[in-house]
Amino acid sequence: MATTPTAKPAPVHEHGHEAHGRELLHHFESAQQQKETATLGMWVFLVTEIMLFGGIFMAYIVYRWAFPDVWAEAAHHLNTPLGAVNTVVLLVSSLTVALAVNAAEEGDRRRLLTMLGITLLLGATFLVIKGYEYGEKFAHCAGAANPVAWVTGGARLEEKECLVPGRSFIFPEAHGAEGGKGAAATHGAEAGHGQPQAGPGSPYQLFYFLYFVATGLHAVHMVIGLTIVSVLTFISWRGVITPTYFTPIEVGGLYWHLIDIIWVFLFPLFYLVH
Amino acid sequence: MAKTSTTASHGPQGDGVHPEHVRHTHISRGTYYKVFGALMALMALTVGAWWIEGFIALPRLLGVAIAMAIAIAKTTLIVLYFMHVKVSERATQAYAAAAFIGFAIMVIITMVDYFARGWPPPPGPLP
Repeated sequence: MATTPTAKPAPVHEHGHEAHGRELLHHFESAQQQKETATLGMWVFLVTEIMLFGGIFMAYIVYRWAFPDVWAEAAHHLNTPLGAVNTVVLLVSSLTVALAVNAAEEGDRRRLLTMLGITLLLGATFLVIKGYEYGEKFAHCAGAANPVAWVTGGARLEEKECLVPGRSFIFPEAHGAEGGKGAAATHGAEAGHGQPQAGPGSPYQLFYFLYFVATGLHAVHMVIGLTIVSVLTFISWRGVITPTYFTPIEVGGLYWHLIDIIWVFLFPLFYLVH
Repeated sequence: MAKTSTTASHGPQGDGVHPEHVRHTHISRGTYYKVFGALMALMALTVGAWWIEGFIALPRLLGVAIAMAIAIAKTTLIVLYFMHVKVSERATQAYAAAAFIGFAIMVIITMVDYFARGWPPPPGPLP
């Protein structure tokens, strides 16, 4: 890939890019090879991400195996409908990201921008719903029925409940009908011999601790993912992305899909427990 | 990377000439929509299974197994099609597999150790 200095030397920025697009770096043989290398590099990073979440999943497996009744009872206080909606939101966003890569490949800038825009909206929707769920838990600790009531000083919570791990943690009295399989009937004896389910001694804290750590770390990844997609939208708008150079879309898409995969496991493990 | 060395003779614009490179990169939009349809169906299935399990006395382990089988099926679809691993380089495929194999090794070794020490523990309050 030698430069061909003729009578008129090329400008500094154009060093030897005559034969190909200027996005192709000189230590690669082709745009294809450059893209494959970037993809492999991204996967190396994704492996570390999976091991990061893997540690949390490992802790989850150990503790759920040890305390299945605690899990069954605790999970009933999560907002399953909102969790299910969020799962759909993320799966749709994965489709739009895949379609964005397709649009970039085919050089359709308009479709690419549309797909990235929809992805941004869906990602924001996910965080708003997740934020509401968190808000619900914190509002309950403050004695309000929901986050709106918390802010406006509206409806109060009838029964004391605080599912945020810490000193003020209070797990509400078990409801026989909710436990299923008699878990509620037996858990009282197992989980503290009639002691109140409050404070650091409550076994239910373990579930909520893992819930907040896992979904919190996932939410942090969502924020990073949204930042990445914003940058991708910007460079696509600037016209950096072409059918021969769409590696950023491809690699950014891989990150987004990984976040989706993590949620695919978090949803049944925390919201769908019996 | 024998593949890349064969393209060297074609020069910088060799890609597209070599048939091995033509097969790369493309998964049609139709496939994406089909995969998405399958993901939605699996999503409905996992929630449906959970709802039904609320009425019938299914062993707990079986319920978890069903939910995890569905989640693994979803993951496989996303990894193969949305993340293009199906049409990626061998090295990329190896790394993608390594991530999940690595996690499986961690779980297996940890659980084997726990079981070797008398697991699960007898029911009672948390220590």
